[in-house]
Amino acid sequence: MTENIIDLNQINVEFKDGEKQVKAVTDVDLQVEKGDIYGIVGYSGAGKSTLVRVINLLQKPTSGKVKVNDQDLLALKPEALRQARTKIGMIFQHFNLMKSRTILGNVEYPLFKTKLSKDERLKKATELLRLVGLDQRKNDYPRQLSGGQKQRVAIARALANDPDILISDEATSALDPKTTLSILNLLKQLNQKLGLTIVLITHEMQAVKEICNHVAVMQKGEVVERGTIESIFSTPKKLLTQEFINIATNVGPAVQKVTENPKFQHLSPDQQLVQLNFIGKSTEEPIISTLAKQFNVDGNILFANVEQLHSETLGFMILVLAGKPTDITEAISFLKVNQVRVKLLNQATESEVTG
Amino acid sequence: MASWLPNVIHMQSEFVQATWQTIYMTLISSLVAGVFGLATGIFLIVSQPGGILEDSFLYGLLDKVVNILRSIPFIILLAVIAPFTRYLVGTTIGTTAALVPLIIGIFPFYARQIQNALTEIDPGVVEAAEASGSSPTEIIFRVYLREGLPDIIRVSVVTIISLIGLTTMAGAIGSGGLGDIAISIGYARFENDVTIVAMIIILVMVFIVQFVGDWLAKRLEH
Repeated sequence: MTENIIDLNQINVEFKDGEKQVKAVTDVDLQVEKGDIYGIVGYSGAGKSTLVRVINLLQKPTSGKVKVNDQDLLALKPEALRQARTKIGMIFQHFNLMKSRTILGNVEYPLFKTKLSKDERLKKATELLRLVGLDQRKNDYPRQLSGGQKQRVAIARALANDPDILISDEATSALDPKTTLSILNLLKQLNQKLGLTIVLITHEMQAVKEICNHVAVMQKGEVVERGTIESIFSTPKKLLTQEFINIATNVGPAVQKVTENPKFQHLSPDQQLVQLNFIGKSTEEPIISTLAKQFNVDGNILFANVEQLHSETLGFMILVLAGKPTDITEAISFLKVNQVRVKLLNQATESEVTG
Repeated sequence: MASWLPNVIHMQSEFVQATWQTIYMTLISSLVAGVFGLATGIFLIVSQPGGILEDSFLYGLLDKVVNILRSIPFIILLAVIAPFTRYLVGTTIGTTAALVPLIIGIFPFYARQIQNALTEIDPGVVEAAEASGSSPTEIIFRVYLREGLPDIIRVSVVTIISLIGLTTMAGAIGSGGLGDIAISIGYARFENDVTIVAMIIILVMVFIVQFVGDWLAKRLEH
């Protein structure tokens, strides 16, 4: 077993909202292995931001145990806690840079806590800016930078004290898709180069898909599902998880478009609209042509998408099967035997036939 | 000259002295009230609900003290604290005696202004500093006071200008300075030119403060 660098145990966080007690996080366990990239997904208000703030105790839990780097953070004195925080970097949705300091000054800021001399601090800050590709602009002020560049500065700042952990709180949510990708790639590089453990929270499964190894799905303060990225993507159990995956893989919008199209709302009895999810090996086999050859069932592809995760390939397809009804039924059984998840898309109801 | 300023022309040395007295009162009370006001404003910010040193008792107390002191009209404050002034300075007349009510009158105003200026600072920036391991003191000096500096200068300008106004009011109880001249000579003896010249000198002082302040604030803003 690999070592857990973060170990949250039975975390509860409650707020007082006037007279009302609001539970933001309920009985959450979270273990993150050293060197992992762990995604926490959920809609806003699900409690993800509150949960990650427990990791560096910016948010004190109402109850529970917080162990980070083998230290019980709740037992630490203020100064020791601040020392521990220097080893937990954090980046934010709105970057949170100081506008009165140059970007070099922003990166230098966390180093004030160290015993480094001014020259050493500036040297280190410059090196960090080089790492994120912005050393040429060190004397600029944050307002002169684009969103993506600001986030790079924030990353450099978060790395100033050579942390073991980086917490990313919706760090790409304010960025455009291209910039998001470049920031995610940077995080991945840092993970590989520095062995940095990353906890990434987001409402976009897309971001998780790019870099995470593990993912937890949160809803109403609870973790409702968790696992490796492959298992979550291939066999999501909860409706919410499915929803996130459908958005990330574009399957959701595609299904909606197809089922709303009048052309597919009144199919003849020898036609069947289906959604197929291929996992692993089944993506490598010529299944559609087999249907035609063995079962006399033609597949008309309306939508197809292939996602490459770390070790797995996932395929998503929407197609109209055409053939004799008995042949179609047989063809569907054949698909299920071959580990293809089949979902019948009927005009009114969507019934699931799990394989 | 003599026909335009029949009385002022004979009072040049009085005007020079009164101008210095006004500058003296403004300067000293700015400095002292500045320190108290800044400290109070910072305490209000850090102790407020959700602040870095949240303390509802301290916050409630300071908040009320500031509100009450700000509600007392200055001209009444002058009279009310006269015994305290006498205890402190030994007299209630003169520029030095005027410093006591001036400081007490202006510091709550400045504290509130500082609080408003620092409220503008993005809580996210403060959170980032906390996350990087900064202590409350470090956050006050390296984040709040630094990030808020342009706004602090702006509210200081507003405060100093108000303070110049208050020094003239203190003239009503014999503090010396331009307000005193304007009231006890210009107004009481119907020597209008004296009042007008006193006003013009005060306007010039206000403009200078405003100009220097704006220039500084702009220079510090990035």
